[in-house]
Amino acid sequence: MLLKPFSFHSPTQLAEAATLYKDLPEVRLLAGGTFLLSNLKSLKRKGLKTPKNVLSLKRIPELHGITADNEQLIIKSMTTIDELFESLLLEDNFKILRTVCRNISTQPIRNMATMGGNLTCRYTWTEMPAAMIGLEARLHFLNGEGTESVLSAEEFFKGGAKTDKILTHVVIKRDKECSIAYRRVRKSSNVDIPLLSLMIKTTFSENRFTNTRVSVNNCVTFAQRDIILENFLNQNICSARITEEALDHLDKTIYDTRSNEYKQHMFRVSIKSALNELVQNQKNKNENSHYQ
Amino acid sequence: MKTLIINKKKYELDLKGHETLLEVLRNHLGLTGTKTACEETECGTCCVNIKGKAILSCITLAYNIEEEITTIEGLSEGETLHPLQKTYLETGAAQCGFCIPGFIMASKALLEKNPEPTQEEMDYALDGNLCRCGGYLRIYDAVIQAGKEMKKLNDQEPRNIATCKG
Repeated sequence: MLLKPFSFHSPTQLAEAATLYKDLPEVRLLAGGTFLLSNLKSLKRKGLKTPKNVLSLKRIPELHGITADNEQLIIKSMTTIDELFESLLLEDNFKILRTVCRNISTQPIRNMATMGGNLTCRYTWTEMPAAMIGLEARLHFLNGEGTESVLSAEEFFKGGAKTDKILTHVVIKRDKECSIAYRRVRKSSNVDIPLLSLMIKTTFSENRFTNTRVSVNNCVTFAQRDIILENFLNQNICSARITEEALDHLDKTIYDTRSNEYKQHMFRVSIKSALNELVQNQKNKNENSHYQ
Repeated sequence: MKTLIINKKKYELDLKGHETLLEVLRNHLGLTGTKTACEETECGTCCVNIKGKAILSCITLAYNIEEEITTIEGLSEGETLHPLQKTYLETGAAQCGFCIPGFIMASKALLEKNPEPTQEEMDYALDGNLCRCGGYLRIYDAVIQAGKEMKKLNDQEPRNIATCKG
């Protein structure tokens, strides 16, 4: 037996799930299962306490699917990483999600793992939090009384990603003007031990960085913004030298959490590489518009 | 009682809810083609196909499955091997063979979507499967050849239907 026995619940209505989640003692939500089941096995191996109830969200239709219109993209919480990767709705600023998904774990995991699970599992090294903070996503929750609430991804992770509610969906505003670069670093190409997820989003206005958002997941603490770097970039024009200078304007509290020099170096390399991409793309855009 | 459809057969099983699909396949149903190794998502030997996708049976609760499941036992039709089984044999892709059922199921998911994958696409689709013998090159050869075979069979299919109608 791989898992300690528990009572399994699989409601088909969202309201029923929310009520069960409130009322059942020692209950854990089951989305894709890639974190939960591995975690339950690990607890069993260590002889630690496991939950009495597991509540599956799989059969709730309201929690599945992706929709988009001119204003926004809505990703329901049970959407798998692979479904998101393959979605034809990922255009404009949403396009970067394809890169984020592509970098997550392995194919069978991408087939199973869900958006909701990735955001609420409370592991500090998952990939979506930095992307969601970067894209200014809003997370929608439902509590046991049927009341909905909304939290920005930034607030959610500032609060340690704690919730006693069910994450129903994520909303991201469409932005046709912004430029985005994303980097994810893993310890080795074969073993997926993540070191970093990083997203830099900016809007170039008269060749200057504006509304820049730098979101970093150092994989030790929850994803957060590097406001020092954002402020520095927002005062500057887009040029190759900025990629070097930016490295002297980092919020060290984020990057110093990694004790190893190599890992700290990887942060700097990734920031530089992401900025290089943004600068280069902007340069190409300027050149193209000049020729037109 | 829980009903599972596995390799086109219906099974009525007395499940409690906490059993993984891997345990049910191997211990309850004797379908031991699906292998058990790491049991924590790292190796891919327990891959099965659900809705055309490679799924890890070691972290799937059997009670949570509604859709049809295909395991390695469901690929051949009687004595006729599936193109992937044939090419894995012909290219010598299987050394110790332990990882091969998982690789074949992951390859099947890939080729049904894309019978002519590039190297990059194979790397991406098979990145969840580990071969402890390091036989990756022959595995890739087998996948490419099986893709060609499957494409040929798919291309022939409409003609066969037309012949039957005629």
